[in-house]
Amino acid sequence: MKVSLNWLKEFVELPADVAALSELLTKAGVEVEGIETRGCTIAKVVVAQILESVPHPNADRLSVCKVAEGGAEPRQIVCGAKNYKVGDKVPLALPGAVMPGDFTIKVGKLRGVESQGMMCSAKELGLAEEAEGLLLLPADSVVGTPLTELFPAETVLDVEVTPNRPDLLCHLGMAREIATLLGKPLHIPEAIRATAGTGSQPTAEITLEAPDACPFYSARRIRGVKVGPSPAWLRAKLESIGIRSINNIVDVTNYVMLELGQPLHAFDLAKLQGGIRVRRAAEGEAFLALDGKTYPLAPRHLVIADQQRAVAIAGVMGGEESGVTEATSDLLLESAYFAPAGIRRTSRELGLSSDSSYRFERGIDLAGVLPASARAVQLILEVAGGEAEPVVSAAGSCVVEEAIVPFRLERCHAVLGAAVPGEQVDRILTGFGLTKAANGWRVPSFRPDLTREIDLIEEIARVIGIEAVPAREQTRFTASSPADQRHDQAMRLRRRLAAPGLGFHEARSLTLISEKAAASFPVGEVRRVRNPLNEDQVVLRPSLIPGLLESLTRNLRAGVRDLRLFELGRIFRADAREERTGLALLLSGAAAPASWRDSKPRPADFFDLKGVLSALALDGVTFEPTTHPALALAVELRRGEAVVGLAGQLTPARARELDATAPVLVAEIDLDLFEAAPPMGRFVELPKFPAVTRDIALLAPADVAHGRIEAVLRGANEPLLVEVELFDVFTDPTGQRIPADQKSVAYALTYRSTGRTLTAEEVAEAHQRLKERLKAELPVSFRE
Amino acid sequence: MVVFHMDQQIEQLRAEALAALASAGDEAALEAVRVKFLGRTGSISVLSEGMKSLSKDDKPRVGKLLNEARNAVSGAIDARKAALEAERDAKALSGIDLTLPGTPLPMGAIHPITQLLDRAIQIFRQMGFALADGPDIETEWHCFDALNTPPDHPARNEQDTFYLPDGRLLRTQTSTVQVRTMEQFAPPVRIIAPGGVYRRDEVDATHLAQFTQIEGLYVDEGVTLGDLKGTIEYFFRELLGRDVQVRMRPHFFPFTEPSFEIDIKAAALGRGDRWLELAGCGMVDPAVFQEMNRKRGDNAYDPEKYTGFAFGFGLDRLAMILNGVSDIRLFTENDVRFLAQYR
Repeated sequence: MKVSLNWLKEFVELPADVAALSELLTKAGVEVEGIETRGCTIAKVVVAQILESVPHPNADRLSVCKVAEGGAEPRQIVCGAKNYKVGDKVPLALPGAVMPGDFTIKVGKLRGVESQGMMCSAKELGLAEEAEGLLLLPADSVVGTPLTELFPAETVLDVEVTPNRPDLLCHLGMAREIATLLGKPLHIPEAIRATAGTGSQPTAEITLEAPDACPFYSARRIRGVKVGPSPAWLRAKLESIGIRSINNIVDVTNYVMLELGQPLHAFDLAKLQGGIRVRRAAEGEAFLALDGKTYPLAPRHLVIADQQRAVAIAGVMGGEESGVTEATSDLLLESAYFAPAGIRRTSRELGLSSDSSYRFERGIDLAGVLPASARAVQLILEVAGGEAEPVVSAAGSCVVEEAIVPFRLERCHAVLGAAVPGEQVDRILTGFGLTKAANGWRVPSFRPDLTREIDLIEEIARVIGIEAVPAREQTRFTASSPADQRHDQAMRLRRRLAAPGLGFHEARSLTLISEKAAASFPVGEVRRVRNPLNEDQVVLRPSLIPGLLESLTRNLRAGVRDLRLFELGRIFRADAREERTGLALLLSGAAAPASWRDSKPRPADFFDLKGVLSALALDGVTFEPTTHPALALAVELRRGEAVVGLAGQLTPARARELDATAPVLVAEIDLDLFEAAPPMGRFVELPKFPAVTRDIALLAPADVAHGRIEAVLRGANEPLLVEVELFDVFTDPTGQRIPADQKSVAYALTYRSTGRTLTAEEVAEAHQRLKERLKAELPVSFRE
Repeated sequence: MVVFHMDQQIEQLRAEALAALASAGDEAALEAVRVKFLGRTGSISVLSEGMKSLSKDDKPRVGKLLNEARNAVSGAIDARKAALEAERDAKALSGIDLTLPGTPLPMGAIHPITQLLDRAIQIFRQMGFALADGPDIETEWHCFDALNTPPDHPARNEQDTFYLPDGRLLRTQTSTVQVRTMEQFAPPVRIIAPGGVYRRDEVDATHLAQFTQIEGLYVDEGVTLGDLKGTIEYFFRELLGRDVQVRMRPHFFPFTEPSFEIDIKAAALGRGDRWLELAGCGMVDPAVFQEMNRKRGDNAYDPEKYTGFAFGFGLDRLAMILNGVSDIRLFTENDVRFLAQYR
């Protein structure tokens, strides 16, 4: 909302310092977002008339003019513009004038011809952003008049008005606010005061067919007006806050709206057929609005209609066909109350908003409808002549029961934590137009936001300012929650993964992904939004892996080939749990950073990924081979019977699609299936007796998995065996050293007793038992 | 004669051994010398065998000579060995280019948003807040109705909110967690709720359709605006340094009253003398308590007995400013060249 300081000054005495006023308002919650100065502020620029213009003797593009500026002699000015003719009036900067950019006009020679000043464009005077040629002034401008008089300096505030304060959407309301903040009186001019108590007369010519959407509608006929340009004062006032002048009638309706906050509309009475119907639009009813566009309407939209057709979208915009034109002589002036919700819906659905709809949808003052009509009539008669009907015709009721809101001073103290003296409270609330009643305050109808005690407390807080409230530092002991434990678990995992050695970078991807991305790594039924912004953000990610794969491609394209990424975040599936926290890893490229030690490290493979997963020390996880459509190698992570994750290597075809040249390894873990708090570490007595390690080397068919061999060893319940470590796997596809369909695997078995030093015999016996066990259960032979 | 001969022999062997040691160039040569003179069949050992044939008178003297010779040779071997080791060690560790780079380890980093989030959480924990969370997919009641935002409120429409086909939505604010917490627990509650929120905004350099918020709620007897002010000031002072200036500017939110926007000035923000709008806060609107009581079917949140404050702010914009990031999309693109800057 643009607010003119000159306009405000009609109602309240303002501080001289605009910055201080702006600070005052901002601190009270009426944020000033910008301060603009308009008009001309440059001294020694006057109206001049061009008396003659001849070509410059030495320059094709210049002219030499003689101009009158009110002095004894005409002045000679060299000029480059072409957009004038002799007789035009233009601004002339006299020697000594200081122009924007701090340059001073002097008498000087231009290409050998003396120039005694400068004729100016609107841009050069700071009156416009852009300008072509000289600023041509109205013919009735008086030669010699300073431009500062013709374009008086005007300061305009750009104010952000919060949606709960419709009363501030006019100059009177803004002035009332400022007066209260400054502790100064509000001065309401006699002409406005005279409109208070304006009555109306019920009429059958107006029918309210949707009283919930329009509880009160008034109309007043004014006959014999002369439509034409507005007088200078009216035009200047509107233009100062960026409203284009249309004609004297429309300008008055806008003026009253900006003064008092009531949107008004003037119809050409001759274009109306019979009485006014405030009705719901018919399904599919088309309406040609003042903006020249046709809007398709529906019954949820309210229209103003005559007996034939709609003439306005109620509270939003009038019709092209019934508007005031130069030919209009009789008017019907509408002043009404439209319910906010309906206007908001209509405006939003039609994509059409106006100064009028902006105010109605926030709520106007029902009690102000008739006074605003009277105020407009005053002004129309003043600027356009004519004769108004003696009374306003109306339908519905504009009687407002002013509510009494209870208020307790001690409650105010309890909420604010600051004691505000009763007299100060009285001064503040009275300033805002409230009146003290028994046990509370009577609230004027222009403050629909004040309905409860807390609303009044807020007004006091705004005015005393937060500075008046002492900050209190006081805590309360709070037990940690499951969410605390989950956060700590997540941070532990993040720190471990990001630490040097594992060296993963944390990714944070968007939760909404494309159908294609979701389908690229299927993990279950997905949830979608029904109103996506674009096709890239449709599905709530069922897995973190699609996001990591997208990041992989982006990094590869940026030239980063060795990638270790993880993401820890929410994933979504259409199942009973719906939302869960996942941890996903992506590993691709060199297994270790290349350096002068090793300039070509091997590419990471599945076992590097498995190593990382093991390093996360996820309690009790085992790996079981499985299959997945996107993975060439895949294992399930299990805890007992529960599947808690998936890990593997992307199919080479998919990896190529992503531009990857090295294996792409991915894993995802469902963190919700792990306890958030790690079990407290328990000390195990350190061994007192030495261990003995014996190796075992065996030859087995290639399809006998290490896991089976290890399971046999561990499952043998050999009491002295404390560790089984695989230390060599050897195959020879040529079949020269061992048969091509066999493999050689070697284990180091460690034996120890907690009670004594083992003898060689004991160890040999145990070792032999294990070998026999292996031989009995698996098709293996030993290589000694 | 024999004795004299032996004395001479001992002396000679000793001289020979020491000479051989002096020319022994490595540990193998040294070992050969040891075997030759001190080994079981070495020259000095063999001489010792000859002791048996000596008279009682000569034995002690010759024995002494032999021992001295043995000790001298073995001492010389040890000395020579130490010298050779020292020489070898010095050789092995000389001429190394100490300016070569260290062997690199893979290095990672926690995302800058997570780092900021965790820092914020630690500060609130210092003040005695516990974490709370709730789902991203929410009901309209939790996101709007419970927060005094009626169906015709401008914040509540298809254009600004992502809806699911079943009528639920993606939460537009983490305030939903306040609601879930109050549904579950009677006062006092003192929580913060970090999490992702969604707005149906076109993505550009300063907007994402999804961002990270942190929300706080404290409801108890006797909570005042002064407590809110103290909490907000402490938080930003801890986060941004003691030079921070906090301005609470009255504003309007449906779920708090009085409400404030929080503007910050701090050297850490590098914005010169400009206020930066970073957060919203206020005293919980009694209407929120009343709606909660209606839902709970009790009067646990009696607005006459309890007051509370709530606050919320976005982390992405704060991280942008603190980290000097010009385009918010960098936070979601996971470019390792960007992430690596936060090691």
